[in-house]
Amino acid sequence: MFNTNFQTLKVAMDVAMLRQSVHSQNIANAETPNYRRKYVVFEELLKEASRIRLATTHERHIPSSQSLPQAKVEVDKQVFYRNDQNGVDVDYEVTQMVANGLRYEVLARLMSKNIEYYNTVLRGV
Amino acid sequence: MSEFTIFNVSASGMTAQRLRLDVIASNIANSETTRTERGGPYRRRVPIFAEHLLDKSRTSAVKVVRIEEDPSPFRLVYDPSHPDADENGYVSYPNVNVLREMVDLINAQRSYEANVSAFNVTKSMINSALQIGRG
Repeated sequence: MFNTNFQTLKVAMDVAMLRQSVHSQNIANAETPNYRRKYVVFEELLKEASRIRLATTHERHIPSSQSLPQAKVEVDKQVFYRNDQNGVDVDYEVTQMVANGLRYEVLARLMSKNIEYYNTVLRGV
Repeated sequence: MSEFTIFNVSASGMTAQRLRLDVIASNIANSETTRTERGGPYRRRVPIFAEHLLDKSRTSAVKVVRIEEDPSPFRLVYDPSHPDADENGYVSYPNVNVLREMVDLINAQRSYEANVSAFNVTKSMINSALQIGRG
């Protein structure tokens, strides 16, 4: 009965919240020796998941389910900027965090709009 | 992961940076202290930061595990009239370099602010999630 936007937006918002968590962790550990920066991998997995799809050459073929991948938190073991082996660039983390926060707000607003459409229909135009 | 764990992470960062500020303040305050409880001049203190795992080891907060003493040698100043001068007339002053402490102070302040902004961004994200469906 409902469109898929609810599911899609929920996943996108969850990923943005996970990113926020990772940015916070990196910023909190910006001065911790041997701490390596964490990051979230999602878009790559999504691209990969949407690339592999069963061919539907007949109208009665069942299309492959559009299951969304699970976001993963990875540790960047390569990059470190300081002699104490800490890999956090605070400026990068802060800017990415702010951008991610704005993206989250956009998603929240889209979710509100999606609900509004249903409200419009329910109330009768 | 709960959204509210993120607050704990930022809070741990703020606590650690504030403790660092305290340590720097005590280093600067004691930069000329030649007598301590344990005898001898004051030794510069350094907070040791370590990753602190929350949430079944998936979330890294930070904590200060120890406050250690800087083992570098004391600053020797020739001043035979000083009551704490040794037999050669040298006074051992703390191994605190005030300039270095000031740089550290600014660093700690900036790190604290970064944690505050992380906290604020998390807060506004949760707020905007709460506004969903309110029109």
